[in-house]
Amino acid sequence: MSAWRAISLVAWREIRERLRSPAFLWSTVIMLVIVGASSALPTVLHEETTFRVGVVAAPPQGLDAALQRAAVPFDATVRLQVVGSTAAGRTALEAKRIDALLLLRDDRIVFRESVDPQVAAVADAAVRALRRRLPPAPELAIATLEPARETSEDAEALVAMLGAALLLGSLAIYGQWVLAGVVEEKSNRVVELILATVRPRHLLIGKVAGIGLLGLTQLALVAGLAAVLLAAGVYDAPPSLGRSVTLVVPWFALGFALYAVAYATAGALAAQQQDANSAGQPVTYTLLAAFFAGYAALTADAESAISQVLTVFPLTAPLVLPARSALVGVPLWEHVLALVLVLASIYALVRLGGRVYAQGLLHAGSRLRLRTAWRLNHLRD
Amino acid sequence: MSTGLLSREEQPASGSRPAPTRRGGAGLTFQHVRKRFGAVQALADLSFAVEPGRMLGFLGPNGAGKTTAMRAVFGLVELDGGEVLWCGQPIRVQERLRFGYMPEERGLYPRGLVREQLEYFGRLHGMDANAARAAARTWLDRLGLAERGEAKIEELSHGNQQRVQLAAALVHEPELLVLDEPFAGLDAFAVRTLAEVLRGEAARGAAVVFSSHQLELVEEICEDVVIIDHGRDVATGGLEALKRSSTRRRIELELEDASAKWLPAIAGVELLERRMGRLRLLADRDVEPEQVLADARRCAGVVAFSYGPPSLAELFVELIEA
Repeated sequence: MSAWRAISLVAWREIRERLRSPAFLWSTVIMLVIVGASSALPTVLHEETTFRVGVVAAPPQGLDAALQRAAVPFDATVRLQVVGSTAAGRTALEAKRIDALLLLRDDRIVFRESVDPQVAAVADAAVRALRRRLPPAPELAIATLEPARETSEDAEALVAMLGAALLLGSLAIYGQWVLAGVVEEKSNRVVELILATVRPRHLLIGKVAGIGLLGLTQLALVAGLAAVLLAAGVYDAPPSLGRSVTLVVPWFALGFALYAVAYATAGALAAQQQDANSAGQPVTYTLLAAFFAGYAALTADAESAISQVLTVFPLTAPLVLPARSALVGVPLWEHVLALVLVLASIYALVRLGGRVYAQGLLHAGSRLRLRTAWRLNHLRD
Repeated sequence: MSTGLLSREEQPASGSRPAPTRRGGAGLTFQHVRKRFGAVQALADLSFAVEPGRMLGFLGPNGAGKTTAMRAVFGLVELDGGEVLWCGQPIRVQERLRFGYMPEERGLYPRGLVREQLEYFGRLHGMDANAARAAARTWLDRLGLAERGEAKIEELSHGNQQRVQLAAALVHEPELLVLDEPFAGLDAFAVRTLAEVLRGEAARGAAVVFSSHQLELVEEICEDVVIIDHGRDVATGGLEALKRSSTRRRIELELEDASAKWLPAIAGVELLERRMGRLRLLADRDVEPEQVLADARRCAGVVAFSYGPPSLAELFVELIEA
């Protein structure tokens, strides 16, 4: 039997059996609903918006009423806070007690770091309305306390964080599926029937490919929906972020190939179903460590050397590269280097882990240690 | 008990060493196979053969190496020495596609559908999708599982799971069928069904090997046996010839007076069992049966007397104790 035929038979069996259980279908639906619902989130938040605007004492008559009227088109209300002086207003702005400070004497409206165009528009409209009865004045000048960033940093951080979390969750969940499947095959000895005609390595690859395809399909649907919504401008975020979101899909495939082979190897060392969880722990801990190392490095400084290293290091690249790409962008050479390194690692792990997997599968009885399994000679691979 | 078997075709005894040496033989051949697991010599020097169309009972006490030998056929054990051959050639994956295997520890996917698993195993043995589907249906019909094709394995009774396991070994019409303890745990009906299926497979031309501790059953359905102990074959060949080659003879007699206290007082005769007036004796081959009969008559009337080769169970004990 050709390698391809063996691998695809094994993979299809995995897919068919997993699709029969409702778990896959429902988790996909739930994730799609979450992503879809998140697009409605800005609208929901918008309805509850209150703009906190500071003004230096004493405000002109009718300013509050004019602000409220001007805010109506935005489904917002304005809470006017009167401060004693310009300096006190700046302090309040820095302390985030107000969103904007209106300096009527200078015809200025001041924001903390990024301009909220809605607040600016509301304030502008209110001041114009008031001044119809006052001497005419130029439009409000808009300023910020700190230099403005080019784009909304919050959106990027959110996408990076959610993308990495999505990857972490998917790698862990589908990795556990592989682990459980291997332990099941081994503990009920069905593996003896299969290995009579299929090489262990082909069984390993088929299993990882079958379950990986399911994970990839789910992730592609979810990430695809998110990318489409981003591109359509549903979120308050630059549409270019969609590219980073779609990076999640190929990096799931690469990360899964790496971690799933490790999970399968761990599963082959377990003696029975009860051992499955503890057998998988070293892999799960590695995955979590990779996630938190990446999270810590990227939140501290996404441009630092350590962030760069984690972007290309095979164990962390699947989680860190898409996130860093969303935050600050990743140069092409780092993409290429990360890809080469992770592919080399997958190859090495299939070779080395494949041997342990084969020996472990055919070893009945006690739980095996990695080194013992390596030395066993139950069969030629 | 065993009298009906005496009419069975007699096989020449290949006896003990030397082991089969021809490489070009049809069927499965073990040649001086050795395997050690740590301190345990699982297979010391095992040689035997089974030909197409014949059924071989693979016997031995617990721990004799039967399971290891069977797994070796499927490449699940890396041998330290010797060879396992099919039609005189080393066995590769291509050959194994035409083998059927029923491992000792039964295993199928608990959550998989019965029909799908049979198709899967058919396809793993090289069948195309249509052939596998047809074969799966045929075997489900033959084993009385036609209604359970869409059930999950875990929903079946233990007996039905065994049948599916058997079907999984047979679905691709194997040329060699290796079954590890297939009769263990079966009720009388299931035993009969399985025996019929195995006879049918041998009649179709398959070489059939199965291990069992149910020696009476083996005696009933096998033409050939191999008895192994400590990883070494102690007897191989045709069942009748092997029994005849035994140094012992079995004597059964029934006394008229059930309370008679007769005991054979002849050297080389041993009482195995006494139940009411019936006695079962084991005698050396050179003991004259007439002598035993005359001795018994001195004590009580004899209403029945039989003399013949030992049963397989007796031969087994004789060989293993030796």
